[in-house]
Amino acid sequence: MRTKLLLSAALSAMLVFPIVSNAKTINGEKLAEEQVFTYRLLDDIKSFDPQINTDIEGSGVIRDLFEGLMNEDAKGGLVPGTAKGYSVSEDKLTYTFNLRDAKWSNGESVTAHDFVYAWRRLVDPKTASEYAWYMELMGVKNATKVVKGEVAPDQLGVRAVDDKTFEVTLEKAIPYFASMTVHSSTFPVLKSVVEKHGAGWTKPENIVGNGAYILSEYRSGEKVVRERNVNYWNNENTIIDKTVALVINDENQALTRYLAGEVDKTNIPSGQYPRLSKEYPGQAVSNPYSCSYIYWFNVGEKGPESLKDVRVRKALSYAINREVITDRILQGGQYQSYNFAHQKTAGFELPEIDYAGWTQKERDDKAKALLAEAGYGPDNPLKLTLNYNTSETHKKIAIGVSQFWKKTLGVDLTLSNSEWKIHTTKQQAGEFEVSRYAWCGDYNEASTYLDLLTSYSGHNVSGYSNPEYDEIMAESKTMENPNPNYAKAEKILARDMPFAPIYQYTGAIMLQPTLRGWPVDNLMQRFYSRDLYIVEK
Amino acid sequence: MLNLILKRLALAVPTILILIVCSFLLMHAAPGGPFTAERALTPEILANLEAKYGLDQPIYKQILIYIRNIVFDFDFGPSFIYKDRTVNEVLAQGFPITLTYGSIAFFFAVTIGVSLGVTAAIYQNSLLDYFAVGITIGAQVLPNFVMAPILVLVFTLLLGWLPGGGWDYSDPSYLIMPVIALATSFMASIARITRSSMLEVMNANHIRTARSKGLPTYHIVLRHALKPAMLPVISYLGPTFVTMITGSVVVDMFFSTGGMGLFFVNAALNRDYSVMMGITILVGILTIFFNLVVDLLYAWIDPKIRF
Repeated sequence: MRTKLLLSAALSAMLVFPIVSNAKTINGEKLAEEQVFTYRLLDDIKSFDPQINTDIEGSGVIRDLFEGLMNEDAKGGLVPGTAKGYSVSEDKLTYTFNLRDAKWSNGESVTAHDFVYAWRRLVDPKTASEYAWYMELMGVKNATKVVKGEVAPDQLGVRAVDDKTFEVTLEKAIPYFASMTVHSSTFPVLKSVVEKHGAGWTKPENIVGNGAYILSEYRSGEKVVRERNVNYWNNENTIIDKTVALVINDENQALTRYLAGEVDKTNIPSGQYPRLSKEYPGQAVSNPYSCSYIYWFNVGEKGPESLKDVRVRKALSYAINREVITDRILQGGQYQSYNFAHQKTAGFELPEIDYAGWTQKERDDKAKALLAEAGYGPDNPLKLTLNYNTSETHKKIAIGVSQFWKKTLGVDLTLSNSEWKIHTTKQQAGEFEVSRYAWCGDYNEASTYLDLLTSYSGHNVSGYSNPEYDEIMAESKTMENPNPNYAKAEKILARDMPFAPIYQYTGAIMLQPTLRGWPVDNLMQRFYSRDLYIVEK
Repeated sequence: MLNLILKRLALAVPTILILIVCSFLLMHAAPGGPFTAERALTPEILANLEAKYGLDQPIYKQILIYIRNIVFDFDFGPSFIYKDRTVNEVLAQGFPITLTYGSIAFFFAVTIGVSLGVTAAIYQNSLLDYFAVGITIGAQVLPNFVMAPILVLVFTLLLGWLPGGGWDYSDPSYLIMPVIALATSFMASIARITRSSMLEVMNANHIRTARSKGLPTYHIVLRHALKPAMLPVISYLGPTFVTMITGSVVVDMFFSTGGMGLFFVNAALNRDYSVMMGITILVGILTIFFNLVVDLLYAWIDPKIRF
């Protein structure tokens, strides 16, 4: 067994951020008396249970309340969490994590058994977690069988070698496996607490966590408060005493309250970034965010005949003027997109995509020629329906695209707007022609996007199937550096065009000038309150 | 009278049952379910979820189980979306909040609305009347989703007097903006109904008689006109009261009160079947109850009305 201890304890000590030399100053800046960080939540938190939670905002809170094996640093790099480090077997199928001496908020030790319990719990049919698929995605041995109820949860490929050694066995080698353990679904929970209180174990009076904070107050629809956990292993280097998340549904209202100083961080409403960055330089920040916005073309059985012709799909994609969408409609520094994976994804090298380098005029000319070749023109206009879900921004983009297609290609496009659940249901049933979609990465690696287009992916709603693509993606799983295969995969997508890429996200946010440590360079926009601090005005 | 109350309460039971069955069926007929998500779940995961929440049962069985749990255990089930909590907990937190700001808003809407309406009617076509009508029209055409952000802009950002949102039972400053935003348009409606009803009554024979007897105006208004003029107002107030205390999505959304109004809308959008049913039933019961109260008030105000 070849062992490589990637992250030694010494290294992990260095990575602790920030280093507090003097309790009152950091990098020459005086710390504020009151270390309270307040930010805006779009919606109420649906669950504080790591294995039950499904949304991004919930994960943000759970990252403060619990800690998994590995964490991310401000740039999205992998750093030790509850595990000091890990080793990988020669065949890359066994990962061994060495846990540090960490404590739960009730004083008990965090052990490998807690991880075993939580990981089994995620896939246990009795838990009925909506995120059980994540463990399948991680390739943990028997995950799928446990979910299907074919074998008992204790058959899952995890075990506690001893109290401080957690071992995972995979079904297939996954090069980025360790980075998947920063996801909140994999965080440990304390069996005794979960079993004692049932579904109500996450209430502030019951919850026990191993994160830097404990849930001290929760008022549904209003706020979530967490306060310092004195039992956290790195409590000494934690500066923020209290984090308050305020539920403010309306983004403009949230902005007003930000300007009134009630919150330290909020999202910038679409279209307002240019104004705010002028009026509040340094406070308005736009940084890449791992999501990609596309229009699916239905090439499957239920799709229209016209879209089965690649020339039609290419023509439609070419004719979209992405510059207008990013610079005139969205105005938040978003990236024009000609591929699927977010271009800032770690390690990912954006391949040269032919039409990305053309001028819009060239794209339009090519689009016209292709569509004419496919037999559509003024006498035989292409008729399509575009589905999108209710939102001002989706509507503006849809109207924009309908204009590009109308003007350049004479396409007769019907816009069909529906409420989100209806939109999603239709999309997943393959009942659409062209349909709006966005995918956000689960982890900072291109396969989180590119796996979607494999013919066997449950999320591939387009009906697209290409054995060559499947093979490239399957091969990437066993490669030391899979990025060349990702580049190949993107080239195939540009050639086959099962969807039209539109844009890639940025997170446009307002940050109070006294707030420090916000991970602006973290593509997943994952933050940990314990990395933040407030300086004096 | 007692007879009426008993009869109405007996009728309430089948009414609520019909309400439950209809809402249940309508809800399940809507496309998508609570577990429809951006990423489609595998059939196995979906099956596990449906088994856990009893959605794998035939619908008639689901309804029966649902009703049985309510009747015997007063259990409205777990929320399908807020998975750590039960519907009872959601209601126990949300309803007292909307009840608080709703009742206070109701109080102001009624007192100000009725006063404005009566004043306008008595001094019809005077400056006072125009002023009152002006205010009510202004209040009615200004939707609360426009007013709410303006209030926050003025009182939080510019003046810094009030918190921009949130909720604290012990601090009335959190109440002020929600109450203003909720009360305004209801106040305007009440004023308009009061004014037109009052005008009608003031031209009635018994008022003319009273005037010809030489009674002072305040005496005529308070003793003879107000009571009959209140009849249409009261029939408006019954359902209005229910609407106000069960919360406003706009108020909850803009002021982050944690009230029930936003839960209701979100439950519908998220297909949170159990929360939606719970709130529907609560609103149903309150509506039945306050309609009964209105009818009793009718009988008390107008002795001619006999049930």
